[in-house]
Amino acid sequence: MEHILSLIVFFPLIAMFFGFVISKDSVKTFGIAVALVEFIFSIILWIGFDAGNAGFQFVEYAPLISQFGVNYYLGVDGISLFLVVLSTLMTLVSLISLNIKKDIKNLVLAILFLEMTLVGVFLSLDMILFYIFWELSLIPMLYIIGAWGSGQRIYAAIKFFLYTFAGSALMLVGILYLGYQYYLATGTWSFSIPDWHLLVLPFHTQLWLFGAFFVDFAVKVPMFPFHTWLPYAHGQAPTVGSVLLAAVMLKMGTYAFIRFSLPFFPDASVYFLYPIAVIAIIMVIYAAMVAYAQEDMKQVIAYSSISHMGIIILGTFAMNAEGITGSIFLMLSHGIVSGALFMLVGVIYDRRHTKMIDEFGGLATVMPRYATIFGILMMAAVGLPLTIGFVGEFLSLLGFYAVNPYMAFLAGTGIILGAVYMLVLYKRAFFGKLVKQENKDLKDLDKREFTALIPLVALVIILGVYPKPVLTTIDMSVKKMINLMERKALLPETKELLVRVNKVGGTK
Amino acid sequence: MEKYLYVALFAPLAGALFSLLFTAQKKNVITALVTSGLLLISFVSSLTLMFAVHDGLTLHVKMMGWISAGNLSLPYGFIVDNVSVVMMVTVTLVSAVVNIYSMGYMMHDKSYNRFFTYISMFVFSMLILVMSDNFVGLFIGWEGVGLCSYLLIGFWYEKESASWAGNEAFIMNRVADLGMLMGLFLIYWQFGTFSYDEIFAHVGSVNTGIVTTIGLLLFVGAMGKSAQFPFHTWLADAMEGPTPVSALIHAATMVTAGVYLVIRASDLFSLVPEVGHIIATLGAFVAVFAASMALVHRDLKKIIAYSTLSQLGYMFVAAGLGAYWIALFHLMTHAFFKSLLFLGAGNIMHAMDDELDIKKMGGLFKVMPYTAILMAIASVALCGVYPFAGFFSKDAILASAFNGGNFYIWFTLFIGAGMTAFYSFRLIMLVFFGDKVYKKLGFHPHETYPFVLWALLPLGILSTIAGFFEHPFEEFVTKVLDKYEFSMAHSTEIGLIFLTSAFVIIVIVATIYKYAKGGFSKQLETMPLYLLLKNQYYIPKIYEEVIFKPYYALSKFAWKQIDVRIIDFTVDLIAKTLYKTGQESRKMQSGNLSDMLRWMVVGIVVLLALAIFYRPMM
Amino acid sequence: MITLTHYLILSGILFSLGIIGVLRRKNLLMLFFSTEILLNAVNVGFVAVSKYYGDLSGQFFALFIISIAASEVAVGLGLLVLWYKRSGTIDLDSLQMMKG
Repeated sequence: MEHILSLIVFFPLIAMFFGFVISKDSVKTFGIAVALVEFIFSIILWIGFDAGNAGFQFVEYAPLISQFGVNYYLGVDGISLFLVVLSTLMTLVSLISLNIKKDIKNLVLAILFLEMTLVGVFLSLDMILFYIFWELSLIPMLYIIGAWGSGQRIYAAIKFFLYTFAGSALMLVGILYLGYQYYLATGTWSFSIPDWHLLVLPFHTQLWLFGAFFVDFAVKVPMFPFHTWLPYAHGQAPTVGSVLLAAVMLKMGTYAFIRFSLPFFPDASVYFLYPIAVIAIIMVIYAAMVAYAQEDMKQVIAYSSISHMGIIILGTFAMNAEGITGSIFLMLSHGIVSGALFMLVGVIYDRRHTKMIDEFGGLATVMPRYATIFGILMMAAVGLPLTIGFVGEFLSLLGFYAVNPYMAFLAGTGIILGAVYMLVLYKRAFFGKLVKQENKDLKDLDKREFTALIPLVALVIILGVYPKPVLTTIDMSVKKMINLMERKALLPETKELLVRVNKVGGTK
Repeated sequence: MEKYLYVALFAPLAGALFSLLFTAQKKNVITALVTSGLLLISFVSSLTLMFAVHDGLTLHVKMMGWISAGNLSLPYGFIVDNVSVVMMVTVTLVSAVVNIYSMGYMMHDKSYNRFFTYISMFVFSMLILVMSDNFVGLFIGWEGVGLCSYLLIGFWYEKESASWAGNEAFIMNRVADLGMLMGLFLIYWQFGTFSYDEIFAHVGSVNTGIVTTIGLLLFVGAMGKSAQFPFHTWLADAMEGPTPVSALIHAATMVTAGVYLVIRASDLFSLVPEVGHIIATLGAFVAVFAASMALVHRDLKKIIAYSTLSQLGYMFVAAGLGAYWIALFHLMTHAFFKSLLFLGAGNIMHAMDDELDIKKMGGLFKVMPYTAILMAIASVALCGVYPFAGFFSKDAILASAFNGGNFYIWFTLFIGAGMTAFYSFRLIMLVFFGDKVYKKLGFHPHETYPFVLWALLPLGILSTIAGFFEHPFEEFVTKVLDKYEFSMAHSTEIGLIFLTSAFVIIVIVATIYKYAKGGFSKQLETMPLYLLLKNQYYIPKIYEEVIFKPYYALSKFAWKQIDVRIIDFTVDLIAKTLYKTGQESRKMQSGNLSDMLRWMVVGIVVLLALAIFYRPMM
Repeated sequence: MITLTHYLILSGILFSLGIIGVLRRKNLLMLFFSTEILLNAVNVGFVAVSKYYGDLSGQFFALFIISIAASEVAVGLGLLVLWYKRSGTIDLDSLQMMKG
């Protein structure tokens, strides 16, 4: 267990190098095997994780550039643990569901490389290391969209890459400046996140740095109005690309908010709370409306992601344990549900080579199993209780209610609008009479698709019925972080807000 | 006793999971038998629990943890007390009857197995709703029954109208649920818990303004589920579902969940009589509003649906005025006779090949006498004629309205009672008596299977005699609920009962007489009032024009104009500008040395200027 | 009395002359002359200021520049002769091979 984090991060990379010598026909099996082993590693990590310890565990440390405090520094806590598990799970599932024949070897290896970067992002405790993984993750995704996409794939891939890259550049400046601030304050260089968590910055510096980090995270999430790369990327990406993009890569942004923005800049976070909440509410409502107007199934789900990410942002900026725990749980649930939904769209795309809703109708008659699974996941997406979608959404909104009830209400309209676009999509695609000749003899889900989807459906229900073990683990680390914020807060307004939103039974 | 609780709760779930295995297969009677058996087991367990509760037991179990985050710790908890056990018995009884009935009704349907899965799933959700010991547990059931209602309304999904109605029901309920969710959030931040016991223990010490807000928000949720104005349109459209579903979900159980919520939270609502007053006023309005639409409708099921709506209004009046046990009593009796009415209507539909227009029937008494008798019993019970069940519960509601001094509410309900009598017997007369219109139209009606009729018998009996249990019932539930004291003189009460009964009977007799003579003239149908009622006050049309269409247009606008034209265009514009700049500045690199030299000089000048004029702030 | 200002003005005038030559001349040989003038304009400035402050480093620098200018001219003239042999002209506009 000593070097398990390094193992988890670099196992896919090492396997990838071996992958170059594997023959084309067996490379998919190889990829699944690697992803499975990686997934088992992450489960072992979860089992070995001490749920009573809120700090970083399994820490690994080795100096890289010691004079500037850049280190190889890994660790895991309740906030990142499940995101790691999510990454390995979704990689495994997306590899299982893979049925692309063209250049399969390159694709599988790209996915393994992507897995390494994703896990690395969540496990890094050094800012430079984090930044390296953060940027590296763009490359395989650029390749996947650009090489296996459809339609305007090059345009979409480049848009995705440049947009997110431009944001990162700003963050890099922020990181370097923050490192310099740390040097000024303490006299030693350090880029380690736990060190920075303890650094108290002057309010004005916080504002600027918060802005620099915010732009990058906002593009990644993506937040309105930086979201337009997402529909293109999803629209053109192959199924496996969409699954990984929606399920894990978007979570990098929200994870970074929780890991960096809040504890590094507590005062700035509170200062910008309302503007960000307004943006989040716009995301929820606006994206839900745009999703409703779409004609392409995949775009509906792409925009619905934006809408859900809005609620995650809102939960994050609720600044209380209910909201933040809820938002992390919502990340998991959105990862699983949107990943599965993208896979389902991929299933129908494989059969009909179109994603236009109007091309379908009455699918429930010919593909009952497909319709059932789609239905279950749809219900999870609209947040029905006892599915995974409810817990996070409920907690996020509950948390934000303490900040501002009216805003929570506005964001709550998302549960109505979400039902509107999802149910209308379902009705148009699955209900009604089967009129189109091409749809008459569509095959129901086959074994490969079942193997990929059933675990996700099972998780949707199991974690919906019994989310407690996951929640308590997350909650512990979140509480620790909120404590830290309270201790670090400089302005009385910040302290007051943190106390107010964390207190139950107030008289307001 | 705990094991009875678990059996009652999970037997329907077991049934649902069992028949789920068969959903994709051909019709299999085993699913129906197993689910019926399990529902009966659930009923028997509930009944056992009721006797135990009668002997003074109150079961309160925490099954396992569910959500915990921050200060919130929320387990799955269930409570069986005098209130919830009444609901449990009612729900399981009606659902068992409906399930057995459906074995006949759905006999030739190709999605036979799926139907029973949904029904059992519904019963499970409804039991969670009823038995939970906290508001979020109730919300689980609340959404669960909403889901099953959506699935069952859209059961025949090939019909465009059915899937549309399913969506409408689900979405409209969601609108109301948002209100309820906000109420739950407020509760949490006030009390730090969702559990009924702890909330009601502390509710007295909280600011009245907040309690009022909580009450109103919870009631918004109740309005959605119980289809009160302005959320009522989904209920009439929900009649697209199979008739047993209408009987079970849209008459007997799910739609009464709103009333149940108010009763369950009676400790909270009794603190804020103003909210109660709003509830009662809205209830009275809906009672007449819905009844008026039932007066002219020709669709067999929609008449009964509007009647349900109107009766829900009655229940809300009682609940709003603090007569919680009366509301619960009416809820129970109504479940019996209204589901009977619906199931009878189902028999007629079967006989008439799914024809719903009552003007195309007539004289069916000869062919289906048993159905006719059962429906007549249900109608009489609905109108509130002595000694049938409705008489006791409905008169108690009227009396409580009068007692509280709310004479306008009383008067509204009084008018509503007359309307109820009219539309009920208009339906009976048009369907079972008079000219045999169906013969001209080529229908060959027949009585349904005997086992179906036998299944209806318990409901028929209960509709007849349930009223006599009024006093034991009052005694039973007021152990938990507040007692309701009648302050008016006993003679006034008797007078009122006499007055109402006389009015109702006169209306019934007049209706029978009028329709026996051939009914009203066709001319009435051109009157503006008739058209207004016929078109449901144009409310569905208004919703369509004011909400649905503009929302779609706005969504299109948001996508095509804002997202594509403005935001994405701006992003691309930045990229294009950068690209253009590159294109243009490329020309600088002409390869001509003298051009380069010139640029070099420009550079030197700029740098010199910077060196001279720029003073970095130190 | 010739003050520092006079030297600096002279240096400025020479510098401007050099700049104009660099901008206007098309003949590569003339360009070399112009750059020499530029360098020497700077030299004048350096030496004058060095004398004014009594600090010798300015004069060192001027010597450096003179030697660099000499080597530059040597290399430059060599290239120029080579170019003339190859293309038969020393017109600046004939050098267009770096067009982007």
